This record gives sequence, C-alpha cells and structure tokens, in this order.
Amino acid sequence: MELLRGAHLTKTFPEAGGEQIGIRDVSFTLQEGEMLGVVGESGSGKSTLLRVIAGLIRPQEGELFYQGKSYLGKRPQEIGRFLQMVFQDAQGSFDPRMIMRRSVTETVRGEVNGAELSELLERLRLSEKLLDKKPLELSGGECQRMSITRALLGGAQILLCDEITSALDVKTQQELVELLKEMRLAKKLSIIFVSHDLDLVEELCDRVLLLQDGKVQK
Amino acid sequence: MTRKRIWIAFALILVGVALCAGLIAPHDPYETNAALIRLAPCRAYPFGTDQLGRCVFSRVLYGARTTLSAAFFLIAISFVIGCMIGMLCGYFGGIADGILMRIANLFLALPQMVIAIVIAGILGGGLSGALIALGATMWVHFAYQARSHTYMIKQQAYITAARLSGKSSLYICLYHILPNLLLPLATNALTQIGSTIIAISGMSFLGIGVEVPKPEWGAMISEARAYLQLAPWCVLFPALAIILTVITFNELGDLLMEKEA
Ligand SMILES: Nc1ncnc2c1ncn2[C@@H]1O[C@H](COP(=O)(O)OP(=O)(O)O)[C@@H](O)[C@H]1O
Ligand SMILES: [Mg+2]
Repeated sequence: MELLRGAHLTKTFPEAGGEQIGIRDVSFTLQEGEMLGVVGESGSGKSTLLRVIAGLIRPQEGELFYQGKSYLGKRPQEIGRFLQMVFQDAQGSFDPRMIMRRSVTETVRGEVNGAELSELLERLRLSEKLLDKKPLELSGGECQRMSITRALLGGAQILLCDEITSALDVKTQQELVELLKEMRLAKKLSIIFVSHDLDLVEELCDRVLLLQDGKVQK
Repeated sequence: MTRKRIWIAFALILVGVALCAGLIAPHDPYETNAALIRLAPCRAYPFGTDQLGRCVFSRVLYGARTTLSAAFFLIAISFVIGCMIGMLCGYFGGIADGILMRIANLFLALPQMVIAIVIAGILGGGLSGALIALGATMWVHFAYQARSHTYMIKQQAYITAARLSGKSSLYICLYHILPNLLLPLATNALTQIGSTIIAISGMSFLGIGVEVPKPEWGAMISEARAYLQLAPWCVLFPALAIILTVITFNELGDLLMEKEA
C-alpha cells in the first residue's frame, strides 16, 4: 500500500544574483514497509526534500499525500503524528539544557507509556540511566539512537533519516545501520533514508532516488 | 579560582552594604551639623564630613543603596522587556519583526541626555527621568542580543524536533529558547551594571539624576567638587566607591563570559 506520495514538488530559494534551487519537480512514492534511498551530492536538495515532506517548509508547487489524502499546508505539529525525522547532527537534535528523558518523550501526546519507552531503549541497546543525562554527556551514536527512540515513541510509522550516519565513525555507523534494519522489521517502519553514500544506500534500500541539482535523475 | 572568589566576595559585600546601609552607617546620612563642617577623616567620621557637616562615610554607604538599586532595577526591567521582544522577533520573524526592530532602532537613535532633561522637565526631576532615559535605549541592546541568539537557536535540529513533536510555539519559546538564551543575556546584563552605574552617577553629577539631598555617589561628587582643595575626601570616597563597584561588576561579567565560552 502506498503510504506517502509527493508529486512535482518544487522549492527554490530567492538569493542575490538569481534563484537558488532547492528541489525542482521532484516526485516520489513510499510504500508501506519500504525503505527508499535518496542519494545526491552535497547541495543537491536532499535536506530540502525532507523538510518539504515534513511540512517544515512549504513548496511553491506540488502536492503531498499521506494514505491518499493531501496533507500539504498542514503544520509540522500535525504531520509529526505519522512522520518523524532523525537528523545528521546527533547532539544538536537535543536541547543541551534538557535531560534526555524530557527531550525523548516530547513526541508523546498525553501520558508517557513507561513500558513502551523501556522496550524501545532495550531494542536500541540504550541504558535507562542515559535518560537522566544531557545530550553532551552522550556519544554521537547514543544520541542518534535516542533520536530514533524519540521518533518512534510518538507512534510515527514513517522515519525521514537525513544523513544520520555521516557524523559518526565507521564502527558506530555500522551499528546504527544494523539497529535501524532491526527496528524497521520489528516496528514495520517505512523509511526515507538520505545519504551521500551510494554504496550504503544500495545495500540498505529497496529503491533509490538520485538527486542532482534539485532534480531526480533517472 | 581565587580571582573569581575575590570578585564574587566583593560583589556580595557591595550588595550587603547596599541592603544593610542603615545598620552599618554610624550617622544619619541627612543629618547636618554646622559645627562639624568639612572635617577631615577621623575616628567618628572615617571619611570626614562635607560642606553641611554630613557624614561622608554614611552617605557613601547609603549611596550604594541608591545607585545599585537603581542600576539593578533599570537593568532588570530592560532585560525582561528586551528579552521578550527580541525572542518573539527572532522566533516569528516576518512583518512584526520588521516593525518592532524599526521601532527599536528609533529608540536607539534617541539622545539619552535630551530625553533625561525633557522628562526631568515634565516630571520635575528626580531619578525616574534618568532611569527612563537610560532604559529607553538599554532594552534595545537586550532585544537585539535576544533576537540574534533566538535566530541561531531556532536553526538547531532540536527545535525542528520539538515542532514535529507537536509542541506549540509558546512551549518552544519557554522551554527551549528562553533557557538557552538566559546565560548569554545574563552575562551581558552583568557587564552592563558597571556602565549603568557610571551613567546614573554621571546624570546625577549633571543634576538630572537624583535630587539633593539624597545620597548618591555622582551627586556627592558634583556637590563637593567646588571645594575639592578644601575637602578632597568629599570627592575621593564617592569616586573610589564608583570605581570599585564598576570594576567588581565588570570582572564578574568577564568571569561569566569565560564560563560561557
Ligand atoms: N533556507 C535556505 N535558504 C537559501 N538556500 C537554501 C536554504 N536551504 C537550502 N538552500 C539551498 O538549496 C540547495 C540544496 O540544499 P540542501 O537541500 O541542504 O542540500 P543537501 O541536503 O543535498 O546537501 C543548496 O544550494 C542550498 O544552498
Ligand atoms: Mg543535507
């Protein structure tokens, strides 16, 4: 079943000396349980695409559908119910002054389910003790796993991963990718996995979208 | 570490003196005594007496209260107003930001002394005119700083994460932006204490700050400067008080800045 669809999405940024292209006429679909890879050089529009999909910036043209219904123009606060992001900047994904317990449970609307939190932490090999620490006391890998915990705790079935391994060392990258694979199966997640590492994406993803200068390359 | 302790201790002593001036002062700071005019420092009058026979030591102690409380009050109000407006402008941007920042610019262009004189003319002088005049430009500096910090914080991934988590703008401002804003702004506020004390004393010296006979360091120097040669202690001690206080709070500001960096 088709979970997410974007059609002819275009977002350009006005800039001195002409327009800066974010993405132009980008279309994609994401099937339930699928992992879609998005590859492209730096500046090719990968992050812009994810931000458009998450409703953080509004495209000048195009349409967005979740389960067949348009959600273009909805606020990120609403979109976050079915879709969450994991960012490249692991530590920067958490408020430096907030303990992890509070940051990680922000996605929860209503009561926090302690059992669910424990289960997620266990699956992601995170100690509960880390919940009482602040992000700068955690490693980059731990922060990324916390980021996944936060994304899933709110019940989202779709993850948008924006170069989540780029800032990590090779060993930590592999661990994170393995965990993501496990989580995907265990939680039946659908994932858009953005990376500039074509080999990684081809190994990991069911389909690959190649971006160049904001456009999809066939 | 020791340097830090010394300045913190100094600041605490200054605040303590300001709060307990009434307990420490050996004499009533307003009490004149025709028999004891311009007495040099002695046991009963450690800083001597002025042209009306008032105890300079007691007046310097009470002056700490006048000057410090005025400076703290002014900075606190400017801080709160500037912080709120700057944060809202930085977070929401757009038209409101453009308008508010233009208004702020206007305030910045206002000549402090002229406003102080005008307000003194309308309200009949006193400290309030000086404080309003100084506050009119001070809040703008806090607003600019709050705005630029908010703008930087807003770009952080954790703000995006909070939005996707369903958190409202109010929640994000109160629980993510404000706490991350306070340390840099408080540092700035602390470094402002010194210059604010100079500004308040300066205005009082010019006669548009506190009114006589209220003890205030700048006003005391102003009153006593005519007979500087006859009774230099009347100028020396309030001047030392100003210098010491300004250095103390500047050092504290520097320490906080180092901690932040
Ligand atoms: N907020 C913005 N304002 C102006 N230009 C932007 C903005 N965001 C992205 N861009 C531009 O859009 C292009 C694509 O950026 P981005 O989506 O971040 O690329 P990627 O994530 O693939 O490295 C770049 O040329 C970038 O300069
Ligand atoms: Mg990017």
